[in-house]
This record gives sequence, structure tokens and C-alpha cells, in this order.
Amino acid sequence: MDLAKNKRPSPQEESEPLFPSLYNFFSAITALTLFTGRYFKSVLLPPFEFNELVRQSFLIGYKSFPLVGITGFIMGLVLTIQSRPTLAEFGAESWLPAMVAVSIIREIGPVITALICAGKVGSGIGAELASMRVTEQIDAMEVSGINPFKYIVVTRILACTLMLPILVVFSDVIALLGSFLAVNINGDVTFTLYFSQVIDSLAFSDVFPAFVKTFFFGFAIGLIGCFKGYYTDKGTEGVGLAANSAVVLSSLLIFIMDMIAVQITDLLY
Amino acid sequence: MKQNNRNKIRLGVFVTLGVGLFILGIYLIGDRQKMFSKTFTLSGIFKDVSGLQVGNNVRFSGITVGVVENIEIVSDTAVRVDFSIDEHTKKFIKKNAKLTIGSDGLMGNKVAIIIPGTIGHREVQDKDFLVTTVPVSMDEILANLKTTSTNAATITDDLAAMLHSMRSGKGAVGKLFMDTVFADNLDKTLVNIKQGAGGFKKNMDAASNNVLLRGFFKKKKKDKDKEKEKESEKKTSK
Repeated sequence: MDLAKNKRPSPQEESEPLFPSLYNFFSAITALTLFTGRYFKSVLLPPFEFNELVRQSFLIGYKSFPLVGITGFIMGLVLTIQSRPTLAEFGAESWLPAMVAVSIIREIGPVITALICAGKVGSGIGAELASMRVTEQIDAMEVSGINPFKYIVVTRILACTLMLPILVVFSDVIALLGSFLAVNINGDVTFTLYFSQVIDSLAFSDVFPAFVKTFFFGFAIGLIGCFKGYYTDKGTEGVGLAANSAVVLSSLLIFIMDMIAVQITDLLY
Repeated sequence: MKQNNRNKIRLGVFVTLGVGLFILGIYLIGDRQKMFSKTFTLSGIFKDVSGLQVGNNVRFSGITVGVVENIEIVSDTAVRVDFSIDEHTKKFIKKNAKLTIGSDGLMGNKVAIIIPGTIGHREVQDKDFLVTTVPVSMDEILANLKTTSTNAATITDDLAAMLHSMRSGKGAVGKLFMDTVFADNLDKTLVNIKQGAGGFKKNMDAASNNVLLRGFFKKKKKDKDKEKEKESEKKTSK
């Protein structure tokens, strides 16, 4: 009767982790770290897939511009309209351009743009790479002598890293234009005065940390999208899962990186 | 291939514009902070900088002419502040100009203010020290406000006590306002005075028609007429 209880576990049972979810989490972290290391190794070594990089930059940067532009414009407009009553209570409406400019340049512009790109670009990369994996296109590349990691992964991550800062610059400028329009809905401020106040309120300590962190945001979006797509399994179901988890994880990473960036900026300035 | 080239051109324009906008923004911010213009340095020793920070603006006649470059404690009672000032304004700042610290509006940033010197003095030179004046700090204003409010509280207390005693009819003013008997008496007194004044007028009229006193009143009238004539003559001669 007790024999069943005292029976030694089979080798298969022995290899089962104690906490499967914890095991999966740490193994995913290890895989992501190795993937990042492989990227840095590949990005520096030839051959360089320049044409593919340009193509990906066009798709990720230029094609995302309309969406980022519209979002930026609405962001500036809404922020100004919402902030006006509070400032008006203190009789500080003239501070509106300064307040909006600092909010947009420092925080809202980079984070919102990165989140939009995580949704549009991250999911796209995840789904594209996952479907390539599922349809064995990546394996076919390996067979035909093309390094799929260099051609597919490196170009996408690099394009994301380089294009996001440019998208953020456009988004910030368009948001400030939206804010200028919102200021003029209830008031009468000239373009020169508005942008003079904006420039007056900004310092290098506002612009540079915000700009630098956008490179990291772009890198995170590209990296997570590629990682989730490149190592997908579960067939066609995996395509959807890869796209979904790429968006979720990259959005989460953006917030975590932003929190770290704010702490570092706070320490430095 | 054609489409590919077109995309490359679009991407090139997109990247160039983005980078251009960023550089323009950096240039404008740097220009405001006098990073790209020729500057000279002025310094001042303050007892208290009232929260002035590196990067705050320097104003001269209400115009931003520079920024605070460095703030350094030199002793327990002295803080040295260096200012980077636009070279173009050098000729307007005299040696006897003064430095003070103000505020950009009620809630705004601190600003260093150069109070212009007087004509006849030479213009400042690079690395000159200017005389500083002690800025009125918020703490001092609050301390004064506290004294004022204490005084106001004492005054209102006294006023309340006074009004209380008035309402209870104490003192001359209290009696005047609250004592109804007193008011009645006062009213009667006024009536008596009025009656007395009427009687006195009648007596005086009777006295002026009296034989014994008529000469006196006539003489008095003549003197009055003479004085009037003299005054009119003076006016015409003028």
C-alpha cells in the first residue's frame, strides 16, 4: 500500500521545476539577456544590412509619423485646455506655455510616443517575426546562408532605436503647436510670445535626459518585439500571443525605464 | 526600385527635418542661456541669495541680459555669485551699478537684478565685482506681516472692549448713545437754548431802539460802513 507512496520519481518527474511560473520567468530573463548580448555582438560585426535598415526605418519611422503627429497634437491641445482652469484659479494663466512645455518635453511626449510605437510597431514586429518563424521562413534563411538574426532582428531593433527619438521630436513640436492653438481658443497670444515663453521655460536639463531616454524606449520596443516573435512557438496561435505579449511587455518596460530615468535625472540635476 | 528610391528620399527628408528641429530647439535654448553669444563675467558677494540657482536669469532694466553661472559659499556670511552677461550690454552697466535678487512674479523663479548706475561712471570690465544690496526676503515680509497682524488684533480687541462698554452705557460716549434719560435731557436743553436765543434776539432789538443806547449802535454801524468803503477802495486800486 505504501509502496506507491515510496516509489522513486521518474527522471522526467525529477526535471519538473518546483515553481513552474518562476522557472519560466527566470528562463525568459536569461533568454532575453542572451538575445540582447547576441544583438550587440551582431550590430557591430559585418556584414551590415544597410538597405534593410533603411527599409525598416522607413516603415517604423516615416509610416508612424501620421499617428504620432495626430496623437501629439491632441495631447498638447487637451493638456492645455485641462490645465487652464487650475492655473486661472491662481491667476497664473501666463504660466500655461511654460507648464505645458515642460510637461510635454520632459515626460508626456517621450512616454506617450513610445507607448503608441509599442502598440503599432512592437506588435507589428512581434507578429511579423512570429509568422516568419511559424512558416519556417527563418529556417529557410538559415539554410540559404543568410544570417536571419542580422537581417531580421538587428535591423528592426536598430531602426526602432534610431527612429523613436526623431518621432518624439516631431511629437513634441506638434504637441506644442496644439497647445498654442488651445491657448488661443480663450486668449490672444502671438506665436512669437508663445514660443518665446516655451524656450524661456526650458533648460538643457529638461531636453537632454528626455531625449536620451527615447533611445532606450526605442531599443526596448524593438528588442521585445523581436524577442517575442523570434522565439515563438505554438503554431499560428503563437503569432497572436507574440504580438500581444510584445505590446504588453514593451509598454511595461517603457514605464520601468522611465521611472529609472527620472530617478537618475533627479540625482544628476 | 523606383518606389524604393522614393521611400529613401522620404525617409531622408523625415530624418533631416527631425534632426533639424532638435538642433534648432537646442540652439534656441542655448541662445537664451547665452551659450552661443559672447559674454563677460560679473560677480557679487551676497549675504543671502534667497534661493537663487545656477541658470537663473539676470535682468537689467527689465531685460534678460545673462544668467547665473556659479554660486559658491566663501564664508559663513558671504556667498559669491558669478554672472555671465551678454557682451552687448557691457557699455550700459556702470561701475556703480548694484546687484540685488528679486523674483519673477509672486510665484516665479528668482532673478538677479542689476540696478543701473549713474551717468559719469565708467563701464564695468570683465570679472568686476558689483556692490550688492540685501534683497527683501519672504521671511522678513512675513515677520512684518506678523507684527502688523498682532497690532491689528490688539486694536480690534480694544475696539471690541470700547464698543462693549459703550453698549453698556459706560463713559460719556456710552451715555450719549445708550442712556435714554440723558438723551431726553439733552433734547430739552437744546430746546431751552433755542428759546433763550430767541428771547435774547428780541432783547437786543429792543435795546437798539432804546434812546440811551441808540447812539452806540449808530456809531458801530458807521464804523462798519467805513471799513467796507476802505476795502472797496483797496480792491479798485489793485
